[in-house]
Amino acid sequence: MKTERLFLGAVVASVLAVINQSVFAHGGATGVVKERMDGMGVMKEAMRVLTPMMRGQVDYDAAVVRERSEDISRHAGEALTRLFPEGSLDAPSEAKPEIWQDWDAFSAMAEKLRVTADGLAEASENGLEMSGEAPAVGGIMGDQGGSMMGGGMMGIGAGSDMMDLSQMPADGVFTMMGQVCSACHTRFRVEK
Amino acid sequence: MCYRLGLAGAVIAAVSLAGLMAWPIGQPLTPLALQGNVDRGAYLARVSGCIACHTDFAKGRAPLAGGVALDTPFGTLYSPNLTTDPEHGIGGWSQAQFARAVREGVSPEGHAYYPAFPYSFYASFSDQEIADLWAAFQTVPPVATPSRPREMIFPFNQRWGLKLWRAVFLDPPRTEPVAGKSAAWNRGRKLVEGASHCAACHTARNFAGARKSDTEHFQGSDALPGGEKSPAIDHLTLTTRGWDAASLAYALRTGITPEGDAFGGSMGEVVLYGTSYLTEADRTAIATYLMDEHEGG
Repeated sequence: MKTERLFLGAVVASVLAVINQSVFAHGGATGVVKERMDGMGVMKEAMRVLTPMMRGQVDYDAAVVRERSEDISRHAGEALTRLFPEGSLDAPSEAKPEIWQDWDAFSAMAEKLRVTADGLAEASENGLEMSGEAPAVGGIMGDQGGSMMGGGMMGIGAGSDMMDLSQMPADGVFTMMGQVCSACHTRFRVEK
Repeated sequence: MCYRLGLAGAVIAAVSLAGLMAWPIGQPLTPLALQGNVDRGAYLARVSGCIACHTDFAKGRAPLAGGVALDTPFGTLYSPNLTTDPEHGIGGWSQAQFARAVREGVSPEGHAYYPAFPYSFYASFSDQEIADLWAAFQTVPPVATPSRPREMIFPFNQRWGLKLWRAVFLDPPRTEPVAGKSAAWNRGRKLVEGASHCAACHTARNFAGARKSDTEHFQGSDALPGGEKSPAIDHLTLTTRGWDAASLAYALRTGITPEGDAFGGSMGEVVLYGTSYLTEADRTAIATYLMDEHEGG
């Protein structure tokens, strides 16, 4: 009887612990907000691993690049947008309501993230170019909208649809992908 | 007696107010006898954030046609149209008027601009840099969209009050080279403390919207327009948070931070429409200066 109760108590305690962990990770997020914050966390971790590699600080490993960009692709596109049902702004969500006022732009960026992440996986064997100069969006004056004429296409790597990403150096594709992340955060994430 | 004193006081107040409203500001207009370079000017416009702040990218509007809202504690401002349209833009301006507007914050009509326009940083521009900027702005196609009027709350909607503000708070930028530092370091100083106006967001402002340069330079702000926050970017904080010059220069190019995050908010705009277009040398210069001990403001 007593052991039974102890056992039951232990079970209850561990169930509570599990619930506690899953529910209160990300500062109390639940449901769809938690799910998407976890997804963002996976992508952030992938970027944290890939960034020093793309900057040439640690040895380049094509297998890791492929694996981590597949992680990102899995959480991009439709997989990302389905976690943003209209009005899902419960704390601690960092989403801006503008997402639903401009759903087309939001989902286009999510899709662009998937395309560039897939492109990076395919380009993983290409290695680095390390040019440092001029990102994919264009130069200073005249070419691809890099002039007084403003940034190309909301700052998202212009024309990535038309380019064959699999033929590009991995760090170039990585930069384009990072610009998509940043362009989306710029418009649709609350900076806390 | 009391009545007379009161009357005298009222008269003095009215006369001072009238005087304040009529008080001319800014230097006399003098033409610059310099030929500008369009490419250098366009580059400086990138560095200075002209394009980022005066283009409504979210709505897909024409470059430099303005209309971006800035929600300040004093009301809402909209960035004006800077295209060559003679009526709604700056097409009817002279180069001298442009120079005074950019460096001194004084409109062609002699009004003071609100400090949301970071002219206090642009005061560091040389005549040649102004001529370059002017040449670049001449290449912008006209857009006939009227600038949206500001919606400031009383008393901040009284423009003459800005003259007092200028008298009390306007300081020259601290961009002068420092002896014994490298060329890159001093180039970084010129950009960070001048054209790129990092302190506009990364230094907190006082009750009147003036930066607390002497006490809180680069200590971050939790009251940016639109309710955003900016982190501290003094060299000690940056070092503690895992930044070094190389990772900072990389973030200014790509928006990607060492911990794997990607910039959002106004820093995202700074990178997307500004620093991602700079030369690697300039990004490294900015990072070199920020990661080292410096006296700024």
